[in-house]
Amino acid sequence: MSGILEPLLPTVLSVRRIPNAAAALLEAYGADPDKHVSLGLITCDQDDALYVALDEATKHAAVDVIFARSFYAGAGVASGPISGEILGVIAAADPDEIEEGLRVALRCLEHDACFYAADDAGATAVFPHVITSLGRYLSAEAGLSEGVPMAYLVAPPMEATIALDAALKAANVRAVKVFPPPSETNFAAAWLTGSLPDCEVAALAYAEAVVEVAREPKG
Amino acid sequence: MSRTRELIAGLRRDLGEADPAPPAIHVERIPDPPVRVFPSPTDRPRVAHQAAAHTTALVGIGRVGTRYATSVVLQFQAELAVAHAAVAEVLPDSWAEENGLIGVTSRVTDHRQFLLRPDLGRRLDEPSLARLAEDDVPKDIDVQPILADGLSAVACMGAGVELLSAFSAACRERGFSVGAPLCAKFARVWLQDEIGAAVRAKVAVILLGERPGLGTGDGLSAYLVHGPQLGRTDGDRNMMSNIHERGVPPVEAASRLASLVAAMLEQGRSGVTLDLADVAGVESGLRPPQVRVPLVETGGDLA
Repeated sequence: MSGILEPLLPTVLSVRRIPNAAAALLEAYGADPDKHVSLGLITCDQDDALYVALDEATKHAAVDVIFARSFYAGAGVASGPISGEILGVIAAADPDEIEEGLRVALRCLEHDACFYAADDAGATAVFPHVITSLGRYLSAEAGLSEGVPMAYLVAPPMEATIALDAALKAANVRAVKVFPPPSETNFAAAWLTGSLPDCEVAALAYAEAVVEVAREPKG
Repeated sequence: MSRTRELIAGLRRDLGEADPAPPAIHVERIPDPPVRVFPSPTDRPRVAHQAAAHTTALVGIGRVGTRYATSVVLQFQAELAVAHAAVAEVLPDSWAEENGLIGVTSRVTDHRQFLLRPDLGRRLDEPSLARLAEDDVPKDIDVQPILADGLSAVACMGAGVELLSAFSAACRERGFSVGAPLCAKFARVWLQDEIGAAVRAKVAVILLGERPGLGTGDGLSAYLVHGPQLGRTDGDRNMMSNIHERGVPPVEAASRLASLVAAMLEQGRSGVTLDLADVAGVESGLRPPQVRVPLVETGGDLA
């Protein structure tokens, strides 16, 4: 049991390093063998929190996010005890950069990016995250410049649809990307950008709308 | 703490934290109350019949549930509309001349002022006084009849001329000298004092549209005063109201008014001191049974 909008903290299920990865592995996971030598790998039970954490890592260390994929249907039906719902892989030229990147990502998972409970039982989860300054990873994914703010918004399908409408109307933001349901984890997401205060207002409106829908699903 | 966690913590406080307002209680739609159909009462109690027989006022009209019957309301609204229209009507400036009357005007300059300033409607303006002083207006006469708009120009333009000529003829029949036929615009009753004094009439009679009521937008009243002069009060006047086809018809009213004039000339007074005991045509005691004739046909039943 948790209260409304209390953080549902992500659990890091595994953290491993490969100081000198095999070339075929590097290639298979999308790395550039010419500049990438070391890998850092994390699994976590919250995919979106880890996407944000990996992006955070690119701001603090010379690492590239070469691989990050959500697992089908999410952490509830994981393939193994440490699978969670995402595997994220960062690559760098040396193990020290990997170490720094992992440290930043884990700090972000512990103190920043997380889902929140949208109902008393904690059965509904919402991810109303504001990235104050995009790193190299998500800025490339979103087609935005590095350093601009972005609201990273995720919720279950119905909640996400109602809440996205509320968020777009609440502030002067524009939709960069909208991911209608289902995602791999059967959620729906949207990336909005604008000024930082507008992104914050949009994220708050999104969270409030998800709570409202969770309270009155047939309202 | 991260910015996003601060923001969401703030929102959480705004939403009531762990003890949020409970969701709105679902209330089933309250059904409309059943429609009660009240039959229109066809039989009025005997007492209502008897009361209604003695007045044209709205008594004994029954009810439907806790309200009036629709037909009664419609009739009421229609007749009220007639009354409103009558009050708003203004006597045209040329009307007096077109009907062979000598037009005079009170000190009122427009209709709104007429409604708001009764005092101005009781005094003649300068041109009218000068007109009355001219030679073609007879002076030192027995009776000065004055037709006036009063509060219903509709009534004045309706039966006004008929009443004026019938009354003048009735007075001449009795051998009284009758003044010039005057028509006063924006006139109040007391205007007869100044007019009567100006022509030095023994009796001044003003015939004017009465304040419209339900179903009587076309009613005329007659006020008579002996020895007209400024300062006369209502105690010095006699009057007859409800002169219209559904009340006292103008021809009948003319002969009754002539009887009153005769009594005034004979007794040398008017008003409360006038002895009406032997005046022909002026009834006393209970009014005879009356029938309410609707002025507007709406299908309503106020009779």
